[in-house]
Amino acid sequence: MDCLSHKSEISKTFSSVRNFSFEEKKVSIFDEERMNAFLDAILEFKNTFQRKTEKIIEINDRIERVTWFNDLDEESLMLINDLISSIKDLHSTLIRQYVSLNLIRSKGIAKEEIKNFKNAIDDLKENYQDLESVYFFLPEIPAFKETTKLLSLV
Amino acid sequence: MDIFCLEDFKVEFEKLKGKKSYSSIEDDIINYFFGKNAQELSSGVRLNNSSETPYIKKRLNGSGGFRFYYLLIIKDEKLYLLFVHPKTGALGSENITDESKAYLYKKVLGCIKSNDLYQLSLNEETKKIDFKKV
Repeated sequence: MDCLSHKSEISKTFSSVRNFSFEEKKVSIFDEERMNAFLDAILEFKNTFQRKTEKIIEINDRIERVTWFNDLDEESLMLINDLISSIKDLHSTLIRQYVSLNLIRSKGIAKEEIKNFKNAIDDLKENYQDLESVYFFLPEIPAFKETTKLLSLV
Repeated sequence: MDIFCLEDFKVEFEKLKGKKSYSSIEDDIINYFFGKNAQELSSGVRLNNSSETPYIKKRLNGSGGFRFYYLLIIKDEKLYLLFVHPKTGALGSENITDESKAYLYKKVLGCIKSNDLYQLSLNEETKKIDFKKV
């Protein structure tokens, strides 16, 4: 009698393992598809931020080149003033985007891309501050103006 | 291009070089400043609107890297390193004030006139920077 009940239990266990194994084999195929879709989405996300970062770096280079322009008239200075306002606006939009990435960042997704994005945004801020210094603040410091004059005589 | 520096620069350089996280500073200076002509060194943010004696702020080693302030006297082929600071880390700072930029600018002019400078050169293996009081 004992032997019979054992056999029945073994058969039930076998059946349970068999069914579960079969289900899992099917599920693993399904999971692979979902995993691929998930990885594709991460890749696309990384590419998007890489492209944004490259664009910001390109803008940063262009802003730096503006500081090498000579003999700017009043109208050009007004354009630079508009440019500074526009960069400030861009910076605040990008910072908002960066803050909205907090959850993704905390999960360790696209860590490098988000870090590079933030560094490029920080450079953008530094660049508009520098642009403002070069054209509006430093020329107003008498010692600075005097040094430029004296250096031209060295 | 002959390369000189202010005492302020030398002090900051030695302080940063001694810290593990900033130890790339010596290689960064060697790679960027040595063996270059004025045109190659005329990049970054020009602070003083001068073509002959540009006062430059240059970002090196990426966004989180160092900020160098230097003056080029193009006709004499001389470069003067005024100051350096890292952007990030324990000794990092965002930027320096406009007053500090003006102070360093005035100071380098005084140091050029009084020869209160250090000249930078590379050792035989071109791996280390030697500072020699002028």
